[in-house]
Amino acid sequence: MDIETVRKVARVARLRLTPSEEMQFAQDLEEVLQYFSLLDEAPQVETHDFNPVRVADILREDEPSRDVNAERLRDSMDTYNDMVRGPRLS
Amino acid sequence: MRIGLEIHVQLPTRSKLFCSCPTTAEEPNSSICPTCLGFPGSRPVLNRKALEMAVQIARFLQCRMASEIWFSRKTYFYPDLPKHFQITQYDSPVGVDGNFVVGGRAIGIWRVHVEEDPGRIKRVGRSGEEVSLIDYNRSGIPLVEIVTAPDLTSPDEARNFLNELLVELRHIIGTSAGDEQSVRADANISLGEERVEVKNVQGLRNLERALKFEANRQQKLLEAGMRVVRETRRFDEERKVTMSAREKESEEDYGYIGEPDLGVYDLRKISIGLPEVETPLRRAQRVSAHYVVDYDKARQVVLTSMAMADLFEALAIAVEPEVAMNWTLGPISASWAQLLPRMSDQVTKDVVEVVQLVVTRQITDSEGRRRIGAIAAGECPTDISCAVQDEVLESLIAEYLDGHPQVVKDYASNPKAANAVIGHVMKAAKGKYNSQEVVEATRKEIEGRKG
Amino acid sequence: MSCCPSPERLIQLNERFRIFSELADDLSGLQEYPPRPTFSAKDSLCAVGFQARAGSRILEGYRPPFDATPVWRMRQEGMLLIGKTNMDEFGFGTFSTNSGYDVPRNPFDEDRACGGSSGGAAAATSLLEGHVALGASTGGSISCPASFCGVLGLTPTYGRVSRYGLIDYGNSLDKVGLLARDAATLRTWLPIISGPDPKDPTSCVQPMLDLTPRRVERVAVPKEAMQNLSSGVEARFAESLLRLQEEHDVLIDEVSMPSLRYALSAYYVLATSEASTNLARYCGMRFGVRNSNISQHFNDFFSETRSANFGVEAKRRILLGTYARMVGFRDRYYMKALAVRQLVISEYKRVLQDHDLVLTPTMPFVAPRFSEIERMRPLEAYQADFLTVPPNLAGLPHLTLPCGYLEGLPVGMQAVASHWEERALLDIAERWTSRFHVRFPEVSL
Repeated sequence: MDIETVRKVARVARLRLTPSEEMQFAQDLEEVLQYFSLLDEAPQVETHDFNPVRVADILREDEPSRDVNAERLRDSMDTYNDMVRGPRLS
Repeated sequence: MRIGLEIHVQLPTRSKLFCSCPTTAEEPNSSICPTCLGFPGSRPVLNRKALEMAVQIARFLQCRMASEIWFSRKTYFYPDLPKHFQITQYDSPVGVDGNFVVGGRAIGIWRVHVEEDPGRIKRVGRSGEEVSLIDYNRSGIPLVEIVTAPDLTSPDEARNFLNELLVELRHIIGTSAGDEQSVRADANISLGEERVEVKNVQGLRNLERALKFEANRQQKLLEAGMRVVRETRRFDEERKVTMSAREKESEEDYGYIGEPDLGVYDLRKISIGLPEVETPLRRAQRVSAHYVVDYDKARQVVLTSMAMADLFEALAIAVEPEVAMNWTLGPISASWAQLLPRMSDQVTKDVVEVVQLVVTRQITDSEGRRRIGAIAAGECPTDISCAVQDEVLESLIAEYLDGHPQVVKDYASNPKAANAVIGHVMKAAKGKYNSQEVVEATRKEIEGRKG
Repeated sequence: MSCCPSPERLIQLNERFRIFSELADDLSGLQEYPPRPTFSAKDSLCAVGFQARAGSRILEGYRPPFDATPVWRMRQEGMLLIGKTNMDEFGFGTFSTNSGYDVPRNPFDEDRACGGSSGGAAAATSLLEGHVALGASTGGSISCPASFCGVLGLTPTYGRVSRYGLIDYGNSLDKVGLLARDAATLRTWLPIISGPDPKDPTSCVQPMLDLTPRRVERVAVPKEAMQNLSSGVEARFAESLLRLQEEHDVLIDEVSMPSLRYALSAYYVLATSEASTNLARYCGMRFGVRNSNISQHFNDFFSETRSANFGVEAKRRILLGTYARMVGFRDRYYMKALAVRQLVISEYKRVLQDHDLVLTPTMPFVAPRFSEIERMRPLEAYQADFLTVPPNLAGLPHLTLPCGYLEGLPVGMQAVASHWEERALLDIAERWTSRFHVRFPEVSL
């Protein structure tokens, strides 16, 4: 896998790689993807089954409830006037 | 000019889409839990009511309905999105290829699907250096996303479209009008070749302003011989302008995968037993066509209240529809605030009777108006009919109290003891009286017996 | 239940073998009479009163406000949770060497690995009498360490045990299971941790757990599993097959399961795709390691925290998984892998129609030395999973049993049953261990 692609994927994944990491991963991913090309030989089947057993129609009734103390959760985060602090936007 | 809208409507469920947190909260970050905060190990569970509402909306919009649906993860990084993926529907919307008619034109509806809302970001600090403060109360609120075809041709038409659509949708899902918070839209607008997306506009007024500004901006550029850049912009509510929103345009590949934690849903199972509701504007169309009355008048009636439309239809069976409409939009409308809480089968009957008496010239027009006013005020329109009415009511109450003397005794220490009587009489009278009448009469009778 | 170790011995064993990333503060329960039976939980399972770090630095300091459902159910039975066991970061590994904390050492030989990713759980089970460990498996993370440490490892059907409170690796592949010293312990605790949990929809489709007797009579051995094995493992496995036939009246059939060759690729594509989305939430906000530098642009803020706190293997899998679902690659990798999973499931269903179990060795070799692991290329390490991955990909329940020793080091064999047929696994476990002597390491401190 070429370095440019590794850089692009790293950006999408919000990972900052050093140049030596970039080279290392380019090599590793190349080897692994080469092995993955075995998948090309397998027959294609149309499926939208995302689980190995069928999971269907599991729903929850619209009843509000509070299992965990919201205040404790809020206190465990970095807040200012009860709003959670986050980084710069622009 | 081509305008397309991606409309996000918050569903008025009591709990969030994937967790049981209440959807109404006062203080910031007070309705949160591990699931809507995306804590490790938490898991989504789908709210049945949200799915039902989405099905009703898609059906109303004449969509081709999916038989089986599932959810997908849309991965992107932003401080308001706790899991850094949004659970949405990528390749399995609830319905597709529908339409909604406005001003005689059918506007295409490409798709309707369900997804979760992210939290609400407040920007603090100087422009260009803003940091974020986030309220996660909104995180996980159910949204229905409606994507239109770019069939709208002006900002006015877009505003009109959204306004009419919301009147109808609100009736289906049960939100009240005037809640600007609960609707957001992304608009795609192009005057020439390139399309500009204006994201995250809240409410109808802002949408119209944003579209007008953007149409104007693009027009000016084209007139000056310049190109319109294809980009994402956002609407600044305070300054009423659209601005380039480059911040979100860094490398983003949503990389959709299925959401295994939820599985699939059979929509046919959900649809069974979901009533098809007649929405206000559809009703106005039906009423106008069926009774041959002005559409605008019918529309005025349904937008005031569906109960007023019920009353109109009862009148229109008894007298000429034109006459019925005049009385509805006239004296009845004038007293509507007082009349609405008193509505019952008996009141409907009384009102119809009054109008019939006027039409057959047994009473004058002004006497008819006076009597409508009296009914609205809860007074007896004529002495005779009310006396008869009261007698029946009084005897029902008396009969019950004779058989249950304990009630009078209990009432002395607990007024709620009257509820048993009220309940019994309401049932026995089968809707002849409204609850206010029964409560007053019951109290009078019990007080009289306390002696 | 035989006696549990004293707190002193427990601490000494932990120091030597690096079993726990966190020991309970209060171990006095071990000295009660009668002694309270103990269990441990892999550090990816949330437990109130402990951190849950899943072997990762990025979760340093995270104290979950709730118990994972399997943990809660064990605690409800009066079991004492003595600690969270060491593991590969987020489950990414076959030897527990990718831990961001301590790397557990094999109780039979300290220069060798425990296997992974539930390495600490296997070490605990092997070393502590009366212990049962909660582990989790995505591609074989219960089977592998159980095999290398010479204990029993049961991975139930996908969806049998609630995953609420399990820190995710791959949502369509993760399962919570048990490591134990004998079959009776598995039979006792499987019903306790199993069963629908409204907080995990995937646990709500199971038929009721049926542990009525089901006698294993006929077993299939796929020839695709008999390649690339070390000669010692091949020999021990062959001896075990003989024993099954002669001592336990089990019929052995050699079969062919050609789609097994695709299983490893499909598994790694799906697992890394799901994992790369599951790990997106770790960013320096809200929980775990916090980044205090909010004046950074959010992309830099997130990238800085993630790059500084994820280990190498985590980064590798995030990159792989992100790539496999990107526009232009998604069909070839992610969508194809979904199709291949269905292929592998069909293959197993076909074979399990006229066989009670599919049987293979668990791992192609015995526990390797740490020095050997360091020299492995990533792909080599992935390929070591080729025997455990297929049942994991298919969500089938499977069990590893000690079946022999090579120069003192344990060899395991893996039995795979149909979806929901854990009872077949318990049957073979009970019958096998009634004759086979399971060895535990003799450790003098």
